[in-house]
Amino acid sequence: MISLDYDETLQAAAGHQAEEIRERIMREHPGEYVLAVEGNAPTGDGGVYCTVAGRTFLDILKESAEGAKAIIAWGSCASDGCVQAASPNPTGAKPVHEIIHSHPIINVPGCPPIAEVMTGVLTYILTFDKLPELDRFGRPKMFYGQRIHDKCYRRSYFDAGQFVETWEDDGARKGWCLYKMGCRGPMTYNSCSTFKWNNGVSFPIGSGHGCIGCSENKFWDNGPFYTRLTNVPLPGVESTPDKIGKYAAVAAGVGVAAHAASYAANQGIKKAKKNRQTKKLLESDKEE
Amino acid sequence: MARRVHPINIIDVARSPHRYFRRKYVWQWPVRIFHWVNAVAVTVLFSTGLYISHPILAPAGEPFNNFVMATVRQVHFIFAFIFLINFLWRIYWFWFGNNYARSGFPFFWRRSWWKDLFRQVGDYFSLKRGHVHLGHNALAGLSYTIFVIGLGWVQIFTGLALYSESNPGGFWSKLTGWVIPLLGGSMQTHMWHHLFAWGFIVFAILHVYIVFYDGQQYKNGLVTSMISGVKFYRNGDLENDKWLS
Repeated sequence: MISLDYDETLQAAAGHQAEEIRERIMREHPGEYVLAVEGNAPTGDGGVYCTVAGRTFLDILKESAEGAKAIIAWGSCASDGCVQAASPNPTGAKPVHEIIHSHPIINVPGCPPIAEVMTGVLTYILTFDKLPELDRFGRPKMFYGQRIHDKCYRRSYFDAGQFVETWEDDGARKGWCLYKMGCRGPMTYNSCSTFKWNNGVSFPIGSGHGCIGCSENKFWDNGPFYTRLTNVPLPGVESTPDKIGKYAAVAAGVGVAAHAASYAANQGIKKAKKNRQTKKLLESDKEE
Repeated sequence: MARRVHPINIIDVARSPHRYFRRKYVWQWPVRIFHWVNAVAVTVLFSTGLYISHPILAPAGEPFNNFVMATVRQVHFIFAFIFLINFLWRIYWFWFGNNYARSGFPFFWRRSWWKDLFRQVGDYFSLKRGHVHLGHNALAGLSYTIFVIGLGWVQIFTGLALYSESNPGGFWSKLTGWVIPLLGGSMQTHMWHHLFAWGFIVFAILHVYIVFYDGQQYKNGLVTSMISGVKFYRNGDLENDKWLS
């Protein structure tokens, strides 16, 4: 049975009573409850940037995690840090797996995650009484084992080489691939192209917009959203890799050309000198 | 003393040492094959890579008639594996080839290597004929270490990591998948793979120019040596390679 006793949108209690329920669950069911965390804890300045019932979120998270059977990190905030942890991350926000190391953590990223995926993870734990198989990043393989791209209904346009160039071109009308519009489908592991959203109504690509990769780590820092290549993240450099590459190639070409020119000039000067000398010799011969 | 008469000995080399060239087999066939396979692979990889990141010339008609992106990616992956096998083969030959196969190694703990490096830089800036090397000079060796070996490893690891994305948990994913989180995600890995690819263009410009420049300066068959394997030398030319051994 699933009992959502401590959940800010669904719980019956409020205020002190809600906190009391949390403490009672921890006391009465140690090692049996699943802690599902939404959002992430700011760790900067002792965690003061997020407080619940007068205590820091960081403190409550650590305390509640102690007796948990498993921890589920709901959404990209809890799984990856998401917008709070985006550069420069002023509050020192950290995803759950960087704060809690003692318990198994299931990451269910997405901004937000798909409802079917969330209930699917809970149902799996409830049915089989074990945690689902996780990948390298702690995500359930059954929902995050494939990229959006792998099951995208526009994949055939990708393979054909037919891409939308602008939002109002003919390709956009025909539903061509959104790769050139910055679609993150090829690097985003999620079930959107399988389940879709809102009971299978649609998903971003189905609505004509590229995927922004909201279930991938640091997706906020991998902008711009509408280009395929991110900018080079070097301090003071706000440039695309192509620009830098072209500048470097041009610099090499100019260097080479300058060297060749100076070599040719040098050879020319030497030749002219030699010619002058022979001329002088010939002239002195004539004078004699 | 019974000395074997060799055609080269018929010419009196001792009396006019500066005039006559001798042949020396410098680049063994595995080195030459590596060189040309590498040149072709990098050219194909760079051009297909540019298409993959910026696909142009959309074909008309329905997608079932066309397979452009898929074909270009296929070619990119095939040549990537050719590049990889070729690369590993060259590493093998580094150990089992002749001394010239090792002459590009940066012996930065040797004083003679640094001396040769600065002398070579000086020679290029002063436009002098400089010092003939049958193997690589220290500057050339350093550039190969950075642009061929260094860049090669970066592109192999980032490339295989990106390749493994279609099969997480598979063989390539287990071998190279750690690169993606290390570089801060798939987008960043794509970006570095793309940026470093330009290094090969920079290298090609410098390399081709310097080969022809040195060939013109030394006139020792340097340009054709990567086909024939043979370079020519006169007395004194071998002196500059002594620091290698």
